[in-house]
Amino acid sequence: MKIMVCIKQVPHQDARLDVKGDGTWIQEEGIKFEINQYDQNALEAALQLKDASGGEVVVVSVGPERVTQSLRTALGMGADRAVHVKDPEADGSDPLGIAKILAAVAKAESPDLLFTGFMSDDGNIAAVGPMLAALLDVPHTTTAVSLKHENGSIQVERELEGGALEVVELKTPCLVTTQTGMNQVRYASLKGIMAAKKKTIDVKTVADLGLAGQVGAGAAKVKIEKLYLPAKGQGAEILSGSVDEVVGKLVGKIKELGLL
Amino acid sequence: MGSILVVAEIQKGKVREASYELVSFARKVGEATGREVKSLVLGQGVSGLAEELSKKGGGEVFAADDAALANYNAGGHFAAVKAAIDAAAPDLILLSNTPSGWDVAPRVAATLDAAFVSDCFDIEVDGGELVFLRRFFNGKLDARLRPAGLPIVATMQPGATAAFSAASEGKVTPLSITVGEGGTKFIEVKAASAKGVDLTKAEIIISGGRSLGGPEKFEEVIKPLADALGGAMGASRPVVDAGWLPHAHQVGSSGQVVSPKLYVACGISGAIQHLVGMKSSNFIIAINKDPDAPIFEVANLGVVGDLFEVVPKLTEAVKTAKG
Repeated sequence: MKIMVCIKQVPHQDARLDVKGDGTWIQEEGIKFEINQYDQNALEAALQLKDASGGEVVVVSVGPERVTQSLRTALGMGADRAVHVKDPEADGSDPLGIAKILAAVAKAESPDLLFTGFMSDDGNIAAVGPMLAALLDVPHTTTAVSLKHENGSIQVERELEGGALEVVELKTPCLVTTQTGMNQVRYASLKGIMAAKKKTIDVKTVADLGLAGQVGAGAAKVKIEKLYLPAKGQGAEILSGSVDEVVGKLVGKIKELGLL
Repeated sequence: MGSILVVAEIQKGKVREASYELVSFARKVGEATGREVKSLVLGQGVSGLAEELSKKGGGEVFAADDAALANYNAGGHFAAVKAAIDAAAPDLILLSNTPSGWDVAPRVAATLDAAFVSDCFDIEVDGGELVFLRRFFNGKLDARLRPAGLPIVATMQPGATAAFSAASEGKVTPLSITVGEGGTKFIEVKAASAKGVDLTKAEIIISGGRSLGGPEKFEEVIKPLADALGGAMGASRPVVDAGWLPHAHQVGSSGQVVSPKLYVACGISGAIQHLVGMKSSNFIIAINKDPDAPIFEVANLGVVGDLFEVVPKLTEAVKTAKG
C-alpha cells in the first residue's frame, strides 16, 4: 500500500507568539518550529501500517526552506520519500490553496491512503484534509483515534464529543485525518537519521504542479485582516504578594466558598 | 443577495441547541444584509423536528428525511447539504463546529470553491461585507477574517451566542436526496467508557496540564491537593494524549464537561476545547506562569507563578486549615 502523509511545520507549542508589524500573522523570526502535533500522529499511523504490511510512505509538505528540517525528521522516523513544495508563490495560501497543491501532488503519486492531521496547531482551521478528499473525489473521515486495515478497507474509530467514538469503514483510496493521542509517536533513531541522508526530497514549485496563479495570497478566498491578543474581559483577579501571602488568600477564598 | 442556509443537527431526537445558535447568527446577519434565513434538517423521521424549527426561526426548512441519513455518515450528510444548497441558493452556509460539522463543512466548501472559515465565535457586518471572528494558536490569538467573496461556508463554535427562541413564521419543504455507494460507511457508535472517575459529580476538581511534565508529577503535586480538599483530579487534553492519566480525567469538549463548586487549573493555558469543558464552574482558580494565558480570562482568581512552588504550599495550608 502506498501512503501519502501531509505534514505542516508550525511554531513550537511553547514558542512565544508576537504579532508582526502589519498585524496579519505572527513574527516568525527567531522562533522554533516543529511538525504539527496532529501530523506527527498521522505519520506514526502511516509508519505503523508500513511496519505491519509493507508499502511506501511518502511525506509531503508545503512551505519555505525551514520545512526541509521537518521532512528530514519524517524521513528519519521511517518515511521513504519526501515531496517539498517550496515556492514563494504558495505563501499566504488559504486551506483551499494548500489542498489544491496537495491534490496536484497526490494525483502524481496515486496513493491508496492519505493522511493529514485533523487540524494544525497554528491556524486550528481543520479544513485541508476534507478539502483534499473533495478535490480527489475520495471518501474521508476526521479525528481518527484508531485505525485498522483489512482487505482494502480501512476501519477507523473517530472521536465524537464527550468521549464517545464512532466506527466507520472506508474503501481505499481514501483520506483520514488524525486526532492527537491516537498513537505514541516514535523518535527518529540515530540509524534512521543516518538512513534518511540517502533518501530523496523532491522539490517542486507551484508551476511544476500546473497551479501558477491559482494558489497563494492572491488566490486566497479568506484574508486574515487582523491578528490580535484576545480582548481582556473581566478576567481573573490576579493575586499579588509572596507565595505564602498568595496561598493564604487562596485558602481564605476556599473557606469563604464553604469548601474547607 | 442570496439566502443564508442553516444546517441544523439532530441530537438525541431533538434539534441541537447549537443549531438554534446558528439561527441567531443567521437572523443577525439576515437582518443586517437583507438575506432570507432558510434551514436544513436531515435524518430519518425528522419531519416533526423540521416543523418545530420552521416555527422557531428556521424560516423555510428543507427536510431531508431518508433512511440513508439514520446515522451520521459523511456521504449522506454531504448529499443532503448539497441538495439543500441547490434548493435554497444560499451565499452563506452555516454549520456548527461539531463532529459532523467539521467532517462535512470543508468538503462542501471545496466542492463549491467557496471561502471557508471555521470555529468562529461571531460574525460582524462591515460595509456590507461579512467579517468572521475566531481564535488562532489554540486560543492564544484572536483574528478577524474577511472572505474575499461569496459564497462562504462557516462553522460556528457551539455556545458562542444565545440560542434563538422566539416564535416565527416558516414552512417545511421536503427534500429528496441520492446517496451514492462507496462513501464513508457508518458501523456503530461506542458510548464513552463509564470506567474511572465521574468528574461531572465532583464538587472540587484539581486539574493539571502539560507543563506538569509527567505522570509522576500528578502523583506528587496535583493528587495531594485533590486529596486534601476531597476533590477529584482532572487534566487537559495533552496530558491524556500522552497517556499520563486515563481519558475519564479529561476535561473539555472531547472529555467531560464539568461545573464543580471549585475548579483549580494548574499549569493549564486554556485551549478553547478545555475552556468549553470547565468555564461554567462555580469558582475557578488558575495557577500559571504565563500572565497572558487564556485561562485567566475565565478564572475568578489567578496566580501568576510556578505551580511547583504554589501548589505544594497550598496543599500544606489546606491541611493546616483543616487541622
